[in-house]
Parts: sequence; C-alpha cells; structure tokens
Amino acid sequence: MGGSARRIAGGSGPRRAALVRSALQSLLLASVALFFLNFNVLGTASPSKRFSQDLVYAWFGNEPWLYPRISRDRSGKQPRVVVVMIDEPALALRGMRWPVPVQFHAQFLAELEVLRPRAIMLDFLLLDPAPRQDICDLLTVGSRLRGDGVTLYLAVTRPEDLQPLDAAACRDADGALMRTSAVFTPVSVQRQADGSDFVSRRYPFEQRRDADDAPGSGVPSAAVRMYCDADPAPPSCVARLTRVAAADAGFELAWSPEGDPFNQRWSQASCVETISPMRAILNQPALPRESPCPPVATLFASALLSPEVDPSLGAANEELFALADRAFLLVGGDFRGSGDLVTTPLHTLLPGVYYHAVALENLLAFDGRPKVRKEFRSPKLAFYGYDLLVLWVLAAIFLWRQRRAHHGNSSHSPFELSAAARSWIAPLIARLPTPLWTLIAALILVLMAAFKSLQLIAVATIIAALVIIEIRVAPAAEIRERLRALRSYLAGLAVSLAVIALAVWVGYRWLRLPPGDWLGYFSFAAFGFFLAHTAILEFGRRVDELYTARRVAGGRR
Amino acid sequence: MSGRMLLTVLAAAAVHAAWAEEPVQAPKLKLCAALNNRILGPRAADRPLPLLQGDPVHGLRAACAVSWSTLSPGNHALEVADCYQDSLLQLTNDAACGRGTGPLWISSRWVVTSAELQQAQVDPAICQKLDTGTWAGTRDFPLTCRPEKKDFEVQPKAASESPVTSTPAPAAAPAPK
Repeated sequence: MGGSARRIAGGSGPRRAALVRSALQSLLLASVALFFLNFNVLGTASPSKRFSQDLVYAWFGNEPWLYPRISRDRSGKQPRVVVVMIDEPALALRGMRWPVPVQFHAQFLAELEVLRPRAIMLDFLLLDPAPRQDICDLLTVGSRLRGDGVTLYLAVTRPEDLQPLDAAACRDADGALMRTSAVFTPVSVQRQADGSDFVSRRYPFEQRRDADDAPGSGVPSAAVRMYCDADPAPPSCVARLTRVAAADAGFELAWSPEGDPFNQRWSQASCVETISPMRAILNQPALPRESPCPPVATLFASALLSPEVDPSLGAANEELFALADRAFLLVGGDFRGSGDLVTTPLHTLLPGVYYHAVALENLLAFDGRPKVRKEFRSPKLAFYGYDLLVLWVLAAIFLWRQRRAHHGNSSHSPFELSAAARSWIAPLIARLPTPLWTLIAALILVLMAAFKSLQLIAVATIIAALVIIEIRVAPAAEIRERLRALRSYLAGLAVSLAVIALAVWVGYRWLRLPPGDWLGYFSFAAFGFFLAHTAILEFGRRVDELYTARRVAGGRR
Repeated sequence: MSGRMLLTVLAAAAVHAAWAEEPVQAPKLKLCAALNNRILGPRAADRPLPLLQGDPVHGLRAACAVSWSTLSPGNHALEVADCYQDSLLQLTNDAACGRGTGPLWISSRWVVTSAELQQAQVDPAICQKLDTGTWAGTRDFPLTCRPEKKDFEVQPKAASESPVTSTPAPAAAPAPK
C-alpha cells in the first residue's frame, strides 16, 4: 500500500511538471500570436483588422445573430429610423435654391409634423445669417412640434452655434422670449474615419472641446443623444455612453450589405445584396463594389412635398404614415458640391446623414450597448487578456495535437512529402540544369503574380499532383499513418474552430468587441500559424536547457 | 420535349422577363393645368394640414397647421385660386391662420383634388381582378379603377396554384450620390 502510494506520488510529480511545461509553452505561443495580432509598426495591424471587420459584415451583415437590424423587426417594438433627404428638386418645389434657407426648414418641419414622428434631427449647420422672420418662423414651428411631443435636434459644431438663432430674439404668441435651446437640442455631427483608409466605421460618443476635457463634458453625438432621450433615464444613458476616457473614442458601426426594402421604390439598383464568401476564395472582390441602395429607409423630400413624385406612398398617404409614424426622422441634404458625404465600408459614398442614421440603428439594434474596440475599453488589459486566453487555448490544442502525433510515432507532418515521393521527384528535377529550373520557377511566379486567376489554379494543380504522386509511390503503411495524422490535424482544427466560435460569441455578444480580430483567430487556427512558429517553442526549449544546465552546474559546485 | 420546343419556351420566357423589367410609369398629373380644380377633402382626416402664406415669387412662409374642419366647416369642396409647381395649391381662405396672412397655400400631398379623380377617369389604370376578391392595379391605382376593355373572366384555379401578385414598379426618383 505504502509502495503503491509512493508510486502514485512518484508518477504525479513528472506529470504535473509536464503539464506546467506544456501550459508555459502554449502561453509563450499565445503571447507571440497576440503580439503579431497587434503588431502595428507603420500601421500594419489596422488595415488587416478593419478588413476583417468589413468582411464579416459583408458576408454575415444580413444575419440577425450578427446584426439584428431594426428594419427587420416586425414586432413594432423598435421605432424606425428614417432618412429624409432634401435635394434640389425639393427646394425647387418651394421656389428655393441651395444652400437650404432657414425658411425652408421652417416649412419642412411643418410638413413633417403631419407624419407624427417621435423625433426629428436637422443635419444642417444653421450658421449663415438669415432673416429674423425666418428664424422666428423656424422657432415657432419648432416649439409647436415640441408641444406635440416631437423632440427636435439641431446639428452644431459647438454649443455657441445656437447664438445666431438666439440673437433674433423671437417671441411666441404670448410675448415670451423663445430660446433656441428650448426648441432644439444641440447635437454633435462630428465624424470619425480610420486613418488607414478614411472609411467611417466608428461613431464618436461625444465631441469635446479639448482632448483633455473630462468624459461627458462635450456635446453628445446626434445618435447618442437621440437614443438616450428615448431611454427611460436619459442622463444616466448619456453618462454611460460618454464615460470613455479617450476623446476620440467611438463605437463600431455594424453594417449590412442589404439596402432597406423601402428604398426599392426609388432605387434603380437591387436592395437585396448578398456577398458570398466563395467570392474571396475564387479571388474575386470580397466586398461589394458599390451598393447604391442605402441601408436606412429613405424618403425624398420631393416625394413628401409632391405626391406626383412618388404616388406609391398611397392615395391616403398610408405608406407614408406607416413609415414615419413614431419614427426617428433624420433630415439631411444631398446636393452636388456640398461635400457632405461619408465613406462607408459597404455602401461606398453616402450623404453624411446616413452616418448618424446607421449609428442610431446600431444603438437601437444592440440595446444601447454597441461594439467598442479594445483600445477604448477600461481596463484595457483585461480585454487583451481575453484575447490571450483564447489564443492560449488554441495553442494548447495545437500542442496537444503535436504531442499526439509524436506518441503515434509519426515523425513527419501530414503535409510533408514522404521519402518515397522525394526520391521519385528528385531524378525528375535532376534532368534539367538548375538555372533552367530557376528560370521556370521565376516565370511561373511572375505569371501567377500578374494573372490572379492562375493562383488558385496553380495551387490546386500542385496539391493534386503531389497527392497523386504520394498515393502512387508511398508505401501503404506510410499513407495510412499520414491519413491518421491528417485526421488528427482535422480534429485539432475542428476543436480550434469550436473554441473560436465560442470566443467570438462571448466576445461579440457579452464583451461587445467588434469582429476586428476574428480573421486573426481563424488564420492562426486554420493556416497553421503555430506550425510556422514552432521556432518559438524551440527558443523556449533552449532557454530551459540553459537554465537547467546552469542549475546542474551549480549543484555540482 | 423537343429541343426546338424548349428553345421556344426559353425565348418566350426571356421576352417576358425583358418586358417584366420595364417599369410601368403612371402618367404625371399636371395639377396646375387642370381646369376648375377643387380641393375635395383631406387624404387623412385626423392629421393637421400645414398652411403657408405669401407667394412663391416673393417667398412663402410657414403659417400654421389646422384641421380640415377649420378650412371647410361645412365639409364642402374648396376652390383652388392658384397653383405652383403642380404641388402647392392656393386657397381663397385667408383667415384660417389669423388676420393679415393673405391667401393661404397647402401642399397637394395632404388633400385630394378633383383633378386627380378626373385624371383617374380619363386614364383608367390597368387593373385586374384576383381570385382573392381584391383588386390589383398599376401603382397609381385609384379606387374608381375600371378595366379599359372588359372584365377579366376569373377562371377557377386548382388549389395548388399560387395566387398572382402584382408588385409596384419603382418610381423615377433620384438616387443619393
């Protein structure tokens, strides 16, 4: 009995040591992987992460598990977001021209009042001098809408932008002074764009006067303020969303390649856009080149002002009322030369108002908890720690598979050429002089670089040829061993993919991390990042040897 | 099925598909060209009617929003005094928003005019009867829609046949840049 206990103790010690060694080895692998995922010298990491994010939304942006778009919610619980687009024909219907006069806004607000929206945001900076009467008309109509329970928002670059309107000193029917801030809630319409490609994927929480200002001290962005005003506790909602320390912080915008079905009435292009991942595999553009059907329902101002422009809104305006009733209306402009355009990841250039509309849809879709990058999260290290944990598990799976392969006396990788295949190929290569081989290889590589369609064909041909050679020349026992190793590799890959799926779900759903790192995880698991970095393990082993040698030498002394 | 017959069927399908893609444009209503145009009532009874004052040459201004009963206490048709851009109608009423406003204007988006109904009678929409008991027509389908030539005979259908639906053709509106 005592001997048995000693045996167990004697066996568990080395086993524990092996376990610790394995854990440390996989931690080293994971740390290196994390480093390379975030290696950003000359901004190299940023484009790959952004591309990963764009690909995920291009392929799966129509899926409710990724982006539960409110326009697809048929329960009626979620209010709609509608863009109302003012353009030249709309101004002409009232005998006006660009830039949009304040008087037009006053008239247009009165027309929008009929639709009984929940809120209206004017994405126009009213900075130009305007006749006092026009300003007073705007404030009068605005206060009437406020009285009807419609919240109004006005775009500003800073709070002082309301002063020209206040300077008009307009009075209501009772003679009381009308303050602009009592009619319009000022909102920031500042935009953010990724420095690597100038695409607006991120939406700011607020606009602070200075980068050093305290969180929550700036003007909330339009979508943030509009969403929070519909929340039961607006101040705490705004405080929660604007508490990020970094002044340039923002949330990631989820995009769907599909346009809003309402827009099919005017869009010449199809609003049903689906991008298959097969396109990327076949070396075709993986992102939609241009989707002119915007993802937010769009009502043209000219259609609102004249039934002849769009009679399909219903003889009794039933389609119009169904669209706008209790909806968030974001009024923007689409004028040639105005420059108010935003570069989007999936819909190329759109008028700037869509930036705010999509941001508001994101806040509604994710219940006010949009996706935020790790660098804007607090504590930042905890979120990077999560990444490390995921990679650690993936590395452990890799090591487990590698160890299993060694236990099975498999000396080679399943993807390595067998000795028989090598000896079959060698004489073939030896027939031609080396310079000729070099020239042939160079020619093939140049052709593949120039004609991208050849790449897939060449890779497939080479793989097929090698497999045929292996099957014909390798001994049956070796092929069996190789198939066993391949099965083990595929099993390891399947487990890795399951881990990634779980990590993505937890990260996206619960930690609210955008899909920027997803392709990184997949490439590490699927393309054998760890295989390529076994040198890391070798480095760890050498360090361990040096340390052990020093200890042994010290013990002898 | 012989190859020739198959080709014929495919060609017919292709021609049909090409025709189906052609958008059906409803004739534009020239509201300002209509004679003796009158405002018959609101498109939706329970919504306010926004009114403008002034004139398009010197500038229009938001005046007020009133109900139909304020504009027409007796629910009578209102005379159209003037018209602008086939969308703004001038009323003879100059008191609905208080004194000193002058004649008021209203958008044709919110009211039904006699010109619309007249056009519907002059240009009957293409319509057909469905076996569901409802009517479907082109996008500008008015309630008074009548078939141009004759009633379509409704043939009894097998239960497995799916009902025919008509989809509205896209309107010619500008796309955002």
